[in-house]
Amino acid sequence: MAPPRPCYDPAGWRGLGTSDQAASREDSALLDALRRGDADAFARLVAEHHASLRRVARLYVANSAIADEVVQDTWLGVIRGIWAFEGRSSIKTWIFRILVNRARTRGVREGRSASFIGALPAETGTGPDWTPPTLDRGSSPEQSLLTKELGERLRTVIDALPSNLRIVLWLRDVEGWSSEEVCNALAIHETNQRVLLHRARSRARAALEPYLEGAPGGARGR
Amino acid sequence: MTSSADMTCHELMDLVTAYLDGALSREERGRFDAHHRGCARCQSHLSQMRVMVSALGQLERPVREDLSAEHGRMLGLFRTRGLHHREQRTRDVPLGLGSELAAIGDHVGCFWESEREFDAIAGFLAAGASLGEACVLIGHDAANERMLAGLARRDLNVGALMQENQLQVASVRSSAEGLLFEVDQRIKEAVHRGMPTVRILGNLNWERGTAGWPSDREIMRIEAHITSAAERLPCIVVCAYDVTTLPGPMLLKGGLECHPLTFRRDCLRHNEHHVPPERFLEELSAGPG
Repeated sequence: MAPPRPCYDPAGWRGLGTSDQAASREDSALLDALRRGDADAFARLVAEHHASLRRVARLYVANSAIADEVVQDTWLGVIRGIWAFEGRSSIKTWIFRILVNRARTRGVREGRSASFIGALPAETGTGPDWTPPTLDRGSSPEQSLLTKELGERLRTVIDALPSNLRIVLWLRDVEGWSSEEVCNALAIHETNQRVLLHRARSRARAALEPYLEGAPGGARGR
Repeated sequence: MTSSADMTCHELMDLVTAYLDGALSREERGRFDAHHRGCARCQSHLSQMRVMVSALGQLERPVREDLSAEHGRMLGLFRTRGLHHREQRTRDVPLGLGSELAAIGDHVGCFWESEREFDAIAGFLAAGASLGEACVLIGHDAANERMLAGLARRDLNVGALMQENQLQVASVRSSAEGLLFEVDQRIKEAVHRGMPTVRILGNLNWERGTAGWPSDREIMRIEAHITSAAERLPCIVVCAYDVTTLPGPMLLKGGLECHPLTFRRDCLRHNEHHVPPERFLEELSAGPG
């Protein structure tokens, strides 16, 4: 039995060194920089995600002041967690997990909470074969159809959705996250994610039908 | 490969999101397309869905604000609160013991004599649970059960907390390395799930001498290791010491010499008798003397 290191060294202890290999090269480099206390690396991370964190936090809590506190707590969670984070997900996913966790805790206290537990029937079967999404926003003929009126309507409809639907719809369709990213951040199964997204979109479409009818391409088929 | 069963409008509408995600099987997709081609209502439905999703993607983000001041503030947090700074930790986390505040990385020896004092220790976990932190109990069953009962008395839903893994009971290993590994894994798991802080409550002393239980020496070794481990991990550790049953050497070394902080009579205090882990471990391996 080899004697242990005289003192605990998180970077050298089993776990961190090996599981970092799961992270992408950029994430590993970033994590190393953060652990060294490289403020520039942290500044880049903040510049990349801060605005998006605020928007997502706002989906959970009652006002933007609380959302800002949630985001600050999130960054504190990142700052404190960088030695224990093993890179089992991307850093982005991890940051949003912290955010969702913080926001839910605050949301519960503020009485506006989202719960994925019990929201869905038990899952059965396995997922279908994955093929690339057919939705291609960039080349869509509907590219510039968002009128001011439709935009306002969309916001109203999103606001009225139950929070678990609102969050999935926002992350997928407004923030443009992939299904995988949403599943990881919210810790839900892909099937659940799709059911929530489908419910959210269906409700929104029904509420917006009059506006969508008249939109270019609205009656054209695909 | 067409199925004899035609898709209905209702079925198609149910599958629109999976269709747009490219998540339908080849067979389902074939049935979907076949129905879609011949159904004006479903063409309109799908088209509306596409228009809406596309419009959502163009939704103007809430007013673009100048976030540079905000960014600066976050950078300030990194500079002052990063765990690479070992000194001057900010004490701003409710400890849940007395009305004390703790800092991330604290390792507290909590000495108790009466049953009332013992039951009050559950407040440490209760504070964490209500802040959305992860809580880990490590110790013998009777102590763990009393702590869980203490949480229930504080109106916390212990079943739900355990189901969501916010509250966990860790296994006790007989070696310091095993215990450390166990704690280390619980912390990393919680961090991976986005938990901000992990509270660890140790009750390792009651079953001294039973098979599979760590010896006093191993408990002292893990105590010393925990102090340096906690410095860089997002955790707060409280170790309960029963002064009525523990022998003096255990109280002195494991309790007094291994904890930078002690909690007694509702007060958290810096412990002048704390021995730096390196020196403590060196002396321990050199034997008594």
